[in-house]
Parts: sequence; structure tokens; C-alpha cells
Amino acid sequence: MVSLSSYLIISMILFVTGITVMIGRKSLVAILLGVELVMNAAALNFVAYSRYMTDNLDGHVFSLFIIVIAAAEAAVGLAIVIRFFQIKETIHVDEATQLRN
Amino acid sequence: MNQTIVSYLSKYEFYKTLLGLFGGNESLLAFVIYLIVALIIIGFCATVGGLGTFAERKISADLQARIGPNRVGPYGLLQMLADGIKLITKEDIMPYAADKFLFYLAPLLALVGVFATLAVFPWSSGFAMSDLNVGVFYLVAISSLVGLAVFLGGYSSNSKWSMLGGMRGASQIISYEIPVTLSILAIVLLAGGMGFGTIVAQQKGLPFNWFIFHNPFTFIAFFVFFTGALAETNRAPFDLPEAESELVSGYNTEYTGMRFGFFALAEYIEVFVVSGVAVALFLGGSNLPVNIEVDFLPLQFVEVIIFVTKAALLYYVVIWIRWTLPRLRVDQLMSICWKYLTPIAIFNLVGCAIWMVAFNGKSLAELIFGH
Amino acid sequence: MFVQILFGLSALLTVGCAIALAATKNIMHSCVFLLGTLLGVAGLYATLGADFVATAQIMVYVGGVVILMLFAVMLTGGKDFVSKAQNLLGLAPTMGNKWTYSLAGLVSLVFILTNVKLISSIVKTAPAKTFTNEMPSTVSQLGHLLIKDHVLAFELSSVLLLGALIGAAIIARPKKNQ
Repeated sequence: MVSLSSYLIISMILFVTGITVMIGRKSLVAILLGVELVMNAAALNFVAYSRYMTDNLDGHVFSLFIIVIAAAEAAVGLAIVIRFFQIKETIHVDEATQLRN
Repeated sequence: MNQTIVSYLSKYEFYKTLLGLFGGNESLLAFVIYLIVALIIIGFCATVGGLGTFAERKISADLQARIGPNRVGPYGLLQMLADGIKLITKEDIMPYAADKFLFYLAPLLALVGVFATLAVFPWSSGFAMSDLNVGVFYLVAISSLVGLAVFLGGYSSNSKWSMLGGMRGASQIISYEIPVTLSILAIVLLAGGMGFGTIVAQQKGLPFNWFIFHNPFTFIAFFVFFTGALAETNRAPFDLPEAESELVSGYNTEYTGMRFGFFALAEYIEVFVVSGVAVALFLGGSNLPVNIEVDFLPLQFVEVIIFVTKAALLYYVVIWIRWTLPRLRVDQLMSICWKYLTPIAIFNLVGCAIWMVAFNGKSLAELIFGH
Repeated sequence: MFVQILFGLSALLTVGCAIALAATKNIMHSCVFLLGTLLGVAGLYATLGADFVATAQIMVYVGGVVILMLFAVMLTGGKDFVSKAQNLLGLAPTMGNKWTYSLAGLVSLVFILTNVKLISSIVKTAPAKTFTNEMPSTVSQLGHLLIKDHVLAFELSSVLLLGALIGAAIIARPKKNQ
């Protein structure tokens, strides 16, 4: 029998790794990768709690919505990255210092 | 619980004898059964992939009034073994500027993506490895690994032709997933479930009970599905990722030896898988033409033969199309998908839903002939 | 027994690929490791009996997000394709010094301990759930939940997706006067 805390530990490792990637990397795409990891950690927690703590499936619904939102976020985020690259010819996050042009 | 091959076999007497041999350890017995069945299926599908290359050569030769391979073995049947031995003994060349990790990974991903679909493949009413409740959904999802493999193979070779082929392949496979999934969704709506067992059991053996003739919308949906599936498997007339006359050989230009063999094998097995899915969803699956109980074990093998025969006929059609139609241009490919197939698929889905409400889920044959 | 083995393999895949993602310098390899992590998380969902969520995870991430990421990497690959020495151990020098790191470590330690205390109290006081090894299909239940209890969120997410689709198309489109 796998216990709830093993899922929580994996979720914590995913979350911390995601935060580390978001802080430590300077590439815009890498930051988006970190965001995906963090979102997956949250969704995993929802499903784990749904199985171990309750009898209904609301946690599954929440993680489905998280997946949907992650897809939308990835699409818009990558569109912004591509537009940024067309203007600055780099995706280094330190170059993003101006609000227009 | 999901129906699996173990739970099917446990209905018979010899299962108890086997259980006795394993000392009553059900998990171990289940593991052994899964292992044996998986090995049988992989062996069978590898043979199908090899025979696919042979059939392709013979049929193309027939269509072009040639003879085709006839030196190795009777009628050239052992040509595939000769090809395989040649591929294995070839030198394994790694391009100097290639991304080595991704270069190794890409052919494996292609093969994994195709073989993983076989886990839910409905060989017969009892012999499916696992009749998942999300069967069709799982199949569509896991087979998108092949698109990723095409893309990574094209990128990691670090060559212009491969790069162009890989980008074409990825965009094509992503785009054509939409009409294919929408067509499948129409069938899921009719069957009331996503498991292959549910979908096949809703159809009977005779053609007017099949889902393709259920109503006019599913008839169109079959052709949308088949066109999209051809494009997803990179077969002509949609073989732009490996267009020989433009891109040398597309994404697998730089691959040699068995790595190229993996890509080729994955493609031929995927054509078989797609044919099988079309048979299960639209063409009655493995149902016997007579209405009898199939609890008798040898009848399951008859069902398997029916299923494989139908799939092989569709396989022939796929090869026939390849050697008949010319290749499309990239802009034509994209406009066919987004301007024609996707709207038609959405129209089919809505039409199926309206049909279900209006005629209480009855098929065309039931409406005409009564019950 | 199967569940334990599947859990072990999935956990290994998830954690290993996540750490490799953070450690590698090549952004293309990072994307492939993200694929491994997501497949591992899908396996973990499967061990939790969430068949539909696991399949949706594979469908959306493998078929969509990862390929999108790879496309974005290729379209933006320029002079700094390999990011500059920002792996797990060699963080960029401007990211802070030992004082900020130790302070952040202390704060996060307090934070984590507080949370562990909170969660453990919740877990202990929660009524014991009658727990079975059966994993019934969740598809029909999820369908009912989505269309009854959570119908507003369901419709809003479809509006969100439409907005994201149009927004992404407009943002990524090159300007005519450039």
C-alpha cells in the first residue's frame, strides 16, 4: 500500500524543482518549464488528496482544470516569447526591461 | 474493474489448474500471462511490420506492371528477413554535429509510442490485453509520441533536410489530430463509452449494423478519420516529412542501420494499428456475423482472424492509395486540414448528437427495417 | 503489488527527470526531460486510480505543450541557445550572496515546518476513510461532475481556451510594418 505522504513528498520535490528552475534560469522558455512543473505538483496533490481523504472526485475535476489552464498558459506564454524574440533577438529575461518597443 | 485478458481467462477451468501450478499466487500468474501475451503481440506486430514492407513492394510492383522481389524464398517472402539482416549488419553512423542524446532517443520514442497503443488493441471480445475505460482516448494520446519522435529525429540530426522534415512532420501530426479526434468523438457519442469493448459490443457482425452505416454522419466521419489517419502516419499522399523528391528522406535522412529500421518498423506497425482502430470503430470490429455466445474459447480465435482480415484489407487500401495519388504541397496539406476536414468533423459531431436525440439512438437500418 | 511497482517506476521517472531538467544546460534537453516528468506524473495518476486525468495529462502535455515548447525553442534559438552556466549548482552570480541564501533557507524552513504541522493536524483529525484497493472507472462520474456541479467553471475554461487561442495567434503574428 502506497501512503499519502509518498505522493506529497514527490509533489514537494516537483514544486521545489520548479521554483528553482524559475529562479535560476534566465531563458524565458526555461521559466515556462518551471511553471509547468509547479502546476503539475499542485495537480498531483489534488488527485492524491481526492483518493486518500474524500469519497468524491472533486480533486480530479480540479486537476483537469489545472491541465486546461496550463495548456492555455503555455500557448500564450510561448506566443509572448516568440514575439519578444522577434523584437530583441534574444530570450534572455534580463533584456525585458522596457514596457514598449 | 477494467476487463483484462486475465479476468477473461479466469472464467475457464484451466485457469484454476494454472493457479495450482503457481501455488495460488494470483499476482505472479497474472504477471506471467501478461508477459506471454505481450511477447506474442509484439512478435506478431513485428512480423506484420516486416510483411508490410514486403506487401508494399509487391503491390507497388503489381500496380506498375513489374514483378517485385522474387529471389529470396518462395515468391520473395523471405525478402523482409534479408532486409532485416542487412539493416542490423550496417554500420551505425552518428553524424559529427548531431545532438547525441536526442539522436538516440528519437527512434526509441517512435517505437514506444506505437507499441504502447497495442495495450488496448481489441483483438477480439476477450483477447484484448486490457479493455481500459478510456481506451480510445488513451490510444490517441499515446500515439502522439510518434509526432514528438519525428520532430526530435529531425532536430537532432542537425541537417537542413532533416530539420525541414521534422518541422513539417510535427505540424502535420498536431494539425490532423483534431479532425481524427472529432471523428472518434462522434463514435464515442453513439456507443456511450470510450472503451474498445463497449464500442465493438454495440455493433453486430453484419454490415448494416456497423457504425459506418449507422447514420449519414458516421459515413462521412469514417472518410474524415481515414484521411486524417493517413496523414498522422505520414503515408502518401501526405508523406511530406519524408518527401524523397524534395527533402532526400526527410527526418530520417541521417539515420542508418537499425535506427532507420526502428523508424520504418514504427511506421508500418502504425499503419496496421490505424487500420485496426478504423475496423474497431467503424467496421464492426471482431464481431462474428452470426449472433451466438462467444464463451467457447476457439471462437475467440475466429474473432481474431476476422479482425486481422478486415485490418489487412484496409492495409491494402492504404498501400493502394500511396501508389496511386501524387503528393500534396504543404499549403494544400494545411488548408485541407483546417479549412475542410475540421469543419466537416465538427458538423458530423453536431449531426450525430442531433440524430441521437431525434431518432432515439436508432440506426438507419433499424429505422427502415424496423426491429 | 502492481501498484507499488508502477508507483516506484513512476516516482523514479518523475523525480529523476525533474532534477535532470533543472541540472542540464541545454534547453532542448530540458524540454525532453519535462516530457519524462509529465509521463511520470501521468503514471502516478494511474496509481491513484485517476484513469481519465492520467490520459488527459498525456494527451495535453505530450501531444500539445511539449511539442509547442520544442517549437518555441527552435523558433527562438539564436546566439544564446545554450543558456549561460545556470545549472543547479552554478547559479548566476547576480542571483544573491550567502546572506540572502541563508536567510531564504531559514524562512523556508520555518514555512515548511509550519505547513507540515498544519497538514499533520488535519490528517490526524480527519475521519478515517473506508479504503479499498478497488479502482472503479472515474469517467462517468467525472462527466456528471463536470456538467452538474462544476458547469460554470467548465464553461469559463472553454472561454479561457478560446481567448488563449485568439490571443496567442494575435501576439505571435509579425507586424506588417517590420
